[in-house]
Amino acid sequence: MLELLAQTALNATYAASYIALVAVGLVLIFGVMGVINFAHGELFMLGAYAVVALYADLQLNFMMAVMVGLAFVGCVGLLMERALFRPLRDNPLGGLVASIGFLLILQALVVMGFGVRMEHIPPVTQEVIAFSDRVRFPLSRLYVVVAAVVLLTALWLFLKRTRFGWALRASAQDPEAAALQGISINQTARIAMFIGAGLAGVAGALTAPLVSVNPLMGHSVIVTAFIVIIVGGIGSLEGAVVAAVAYAFVHTIVTTFYDGVIADIVGLSLMLLVLIVKPHGLFGTAERA
Amino acid sequence: MLLEVKGASVAYNKVVAMRQVSMQVPEGGIVTIIGANGAGKTSTLRAISGLVRLFAGEIHFGGRRIDGLPPEKIVAAGIAHVPEGRRVFPQMTVEENLRTGAFLRRDRQEIETDLEKVFARFPRLKERRRQLASTMSGGEQQMLAIGRALMAKPRLLLLDEPSMGLAPVIVEEIARIIKEIAAGGVPVILVEQNAELALSLADYAYVLETGNLALEGRASELHENEHVRRAYLGI
Ligand SMILES: Nc1ncnc2c1ncn2[C@@H]1O[C@H](COP(=O)(O)OP(=O)(O)OP(=O)(O)O)[C@@H](O)[C@H]1O
Ligand SMILES: [Mg+2]
Repeated sequence: MLELLAQTALNATYAASYIALVAVGLVLIFGVMGVINFAHGELFMLGAYAVVALYADLQLNFMMAVMVGLAFVGCVGLLMERALFRPLRDNPLGGLVASIGFLLILQALVVMGFGVRMEHIPPVTQEVIAFSDRVRFPLSRLYVVVAAVVLLTALWLFLKRTRFGWALRASAQDPEAAALQGISINQTARIAMFIGAGLAGVAGALTAPLVSVNPLMGHSVIVTAFIVIIVGGIGSLEGAVVAAVAYAFVHTIVTTFYDGVIADIVGLSLMLLVLIVKPHGLFGTAERA
Repeated sequence: MLLEVKGASVAYNKVVAMRQVSMQVPEGGIVTIIGANGAGKTSTLRAISGLVRLFAGEIHFGGRRIDGLPPEKIVAAGIAHVPEGRRVFPQMTVEENLRTGAFLRRDRQEIETDLEKVFARFPRLKERRRQLASTMSGGEQQMLAIGRALMAKPRLLLLDEPSMGLAPVIVEEIARIIKEIAAGGVPVILVEQNAELALSLADYAYVLETGNLALEGRASELHENEHVRRAYLGI
């Protein structure tokens, strides 16, 4: 029993790590720009395909492929900011619709480039850390956990300690008041979009050898998107980050003990509960202007 | 003149909020804009700081045309705006709010000196420097909003209804601080519905009525003006 628990905890930690990366990017984009990025799952998918192209096909070093995946998807985020979200800034619904259109374009491009088949990606390492006979953790999963911890810690320090981190938090709390402090909305939007997309991309890249990579793999992210955005609420970026990480853990623990459908139901119920008790989200305070 | 507004007009969705407004702000002292609800006072300040665009007219600051520039460029030019309703960052601490006011500055040491100056001017902010802004009282938030604007080291300070919703003692304290700021060499544009307060503080005053400039003159003279007394001072 104890061993089952230990094994489940390890699996949940792994799953929560990459879901947290995806969810945190989403709340960052929502917090700063006020748009729900429906294409976020496809950014995750693009990160996985960066690994297909660079690591599986071109046989580059895996870490290198992951780094390029992060940067490349981050740049796709910049493109989205400039081409979709900026022209539609005063129209959050427009941003949402545009991101749905963009999602379909990304899927089509990937199908054109790679086909609809499931990609086979050679394992990065076969090594397994064996705590006991029945408690085993593949090293490749540990990489994902370590990367997530490092990246999320870096993001936290960025938000709390740096000038641009403060600018991001200020724009999320009150975009107009932030503009009156000399903070450029275009600039914070770019930073949020690069980081948010980059985190989704890196999550996709890191997990590519461990999941089935196909052009539709981003779909499941959409439910997550709604839940974390509502639970995280509006106002506090740090709060939203914490909520996203917490949600990732709850969801994966329920998934491992029961299944994914129940986990979504639990997630949605939590969302409703939060909406009833705290209509602006767990850490939200003010209404967006 | 430090600031010149020439025939500035603003509209929201084709509804005109400000028509052909012209104003001048000298290098020192306090200029006030008074008027009833919806007269266009806030719109005037928002036009100056670039939050809304003019559809006609020009704004010049320090000899340079600034209308059409984005807000961050106008802050960089030296205009700090304390918006209506204070608008402090609720989930940031007092100190973080103040430092955010210095976002565009790179002179690290002077920022520290200025932070100490703000704390000296508002001792209550110093006591609460690690407290979240959302947990502060209305008067404290107003002081924080003013302190945050001062951290930008402005050449002109815009204040939108700093007395709104505050108890008389706090209003007196804020009034004293506004005088100190102006005496310290930073000219102020003060928007107020509290005309008595505004005219007692200011050197020069503009009266807005439904988006039009109705009257202007020395504050002491407007204070004695028959129309102003009846419409704004309730005498
Ligand atoms: N964002 C907006 N959208 C549409 N109309 C607006 C907007 N902001 C202001 N207005 C309108 O413009 C006019 C001037 O408003 P403004 O806020 O400048 O007045 P004010 O003098 O500051 O009033 P108050 O004393 O109530 O703050 C009003 O008729 C108002 O309804
Ligand atoms: Mg107003």
